[in-house]
Amino acid sequence: MPRGRIRTRFDRLLLALLLVSTFSWAQSAGPNSGDHDQETITQLVEQIKQLQQQDHDLEERIKNLEAKQPQASPASGADSSLPAPSPQVAEQTPPPPLPTAPPRDWHDVRGIKWRGFGEVDYQALDQRRPELGTYGFVPGSAGNFYTGDFGLFLTSRLSNRTSVLSEIVFEERDAQRYDIDLRRMLLKYEYNDHLKMSFGRYQTSIGYYNWAFLSAAWLQTTADRPLIMEYSSNGGLLPTQAIGVSATGSILSGKLGLNYVAEYGSSDTKRPDINGDGLVNDENNGNQVNVGLYLRPDAVRGLQIGSSYYHDKISNLIQGPSLRYGQSIVNGYVVYVGHGIEFLNEGFLIRDAPLHSSDTLFNTPAFYSQFSKQIGHLRPFVRYQYVNASPNDSIYNDVGLRFGPSFGARYDLNDYIAFKAQLDHTVRRGEPDLNGLHLQLAFAF
Amino acid sequence: MGIKSITTLLLLGLAIFSLNPQAMAQSSDIAVVVSPDNPATNVSLGDLRKTFVGAKHSWPGGQAIKLITRGPGCPERVVLLKLLAMSESEYKQYWTAQVFRGEADAEPLTVPSVGMQKEAMRLFPGAVSLVNARDVKPGMKVIKVDGLLPGAAGYALR
Repeated sequence: MPRGRIRTRFDRLLLALLLVSTFSWAQSAGPNSGDHDQETITQLVEQIKQLQQQDHDLEERIKNLEAKQPQASPASGADSSLPAPSPQVAEQTPPPPLPTAPPRDWHDVRGIKWRGFGEVDYQALDQRRPELGTYGFVPGSAGNFYTGDFGLFLTSRLSNRTSVLSEIVFEERDAQRYDIDLRRMLLKYEYNDHLKMSFGRYQTSIGYYNWAFLSAAWLQTTADRPLIMEYSSNGGLLPTQAIGVSATGSILSGKLGLNYVAEYGSSDTKRPDINGDGLVNDENNGNQVNVGLYLRPDAVRGLQIGSSYYHDKISNLIQGPSLRYGQSIVNGYVVYVGHGIEFLNEGFLIRDAPLHSSDTLFNTPAFYSQFSKQIGHLRPFVRYQYVNASPNDSIYNDVGLRFGPSFGARYDLNDYIAFKAQLDHTVRRGEPDLNGLHLQLAFAF
Repeated sequence: MGIKSITTLLLLGLAIFSLNPQAMAQSSDIAVVVSPDNPATNVSLGDLRKTFVGAKHSWPGGQAIKLITRGPGCPERVVLLKLLAMSESEYKQYWTAQVFRGEADAEPLTVPSVGMQKEAMRLFPGAVSLVNARDVKPGMKVIKVDGLLPGAAGYALR
């Protein structure tokens, strides 16, 4: 639309408005009409402001159009042999959209959304003997700094029903060396709320913790994971990752809020012994099956109760690859997260049954319970954990019996940075008790 | 008629006015709005909660749900946080975690004005948002919550 025409239209509108307002004022003038007049004037002032804003918007549109079509302007020195656009054509040109786009999301780059998570830790133990030398903690030191996991998380939507998700973790190892671990890489397909499928490397849904906190320290209340939920690459007992297919979704159950999860894949777990002997056991897994159910009842918001069953065949390569075990893991949990309270309770039973012998079974029971309450920016927490592996179980004989409490607090400096301080006391079978201090700065960006 | 009688009449009028649920509710009720093409006409409070925590990803017809929210401090945001029983900080952390878990593609789209909510309704056929009932515009379809529209007695979102 030509600029002069807009200006003329605006001037006419303004004049008409002023005439109407003057007429209205003249009609309503009287000894008792002061309040009404004031209200009318306020409304008119508002209308004029709106018109001025519209005028400003129209001018902006014209500027945009002129900026986009410099060759069409006679003053620009463009080819004058080209016919000038007729007024009708110019009027039919759709105006550019109003600047109503939402504020730019810096986590969205050409359709790929990203997030980052990191941590800086300081840990000290009251023993010099190597123990739990993972995440960059130097075994045998009195205390040292390390950076744990640094994760980059990427997602991209491919269509209405499909998307890609990946989690790339830079994990600190001994001597400040970093390994790159593709923790998750999933092609996701959502048919509806009842069937959501994922293909690729996933985090196994054994228990709540593995699903809820993944590898981001910032998401966790505590500075570290319970030993039973620790990543297998850091000495944890569970097969935390697998490559395969997983399906999950809700089951029509009304207010019960029942959901299912089913996974089939290859774990191929490799875990270092946590007693400092330096041995690493490749479990050389077969294909695992994991099925679980959990419910989130409408009646108690924040409550989640679930259970899962996992089965696989594994080896202890130290004993030889031909020695196979049937491994079954049963899990049950009751979790409440709501109203500032976090109350996590999970129990596990890991059963290793040598396939060459029918009369031997190794049971490893484990549980943890964790309670925290948000008080302003502060979240004090307490956790108690217990793991009891048979000394005769050649797969977990480095773990033995371990139990004890942890205390501490998380302080949220803002929405993206948290500082945590944690004290641990661990009782061990046949070993002196272990005390530790863990400080952590965890962040998301 | 004395001053006492006039005062009594005024107080009576005020009381009658305040008992009118529509008059009371219209000033503070928050409507659930969807795109005009969305066939949904009613949502239960439980399902609305599940929708806004990202537990429901699609409408019954299969259309993907797109959450549109207002920024911190708006009445719509206050009602949303009340619905989810979360603080602003918990809400942000929750959505960061949901995305990281792969339970959601992205955090809800936060827009700064009703006009942009309307625009979002036009752009996303599966959009759902909370809008102050007084600010509902053409292009927004108000759906019932537990069978009640804004202004009705017992309406949940206020």
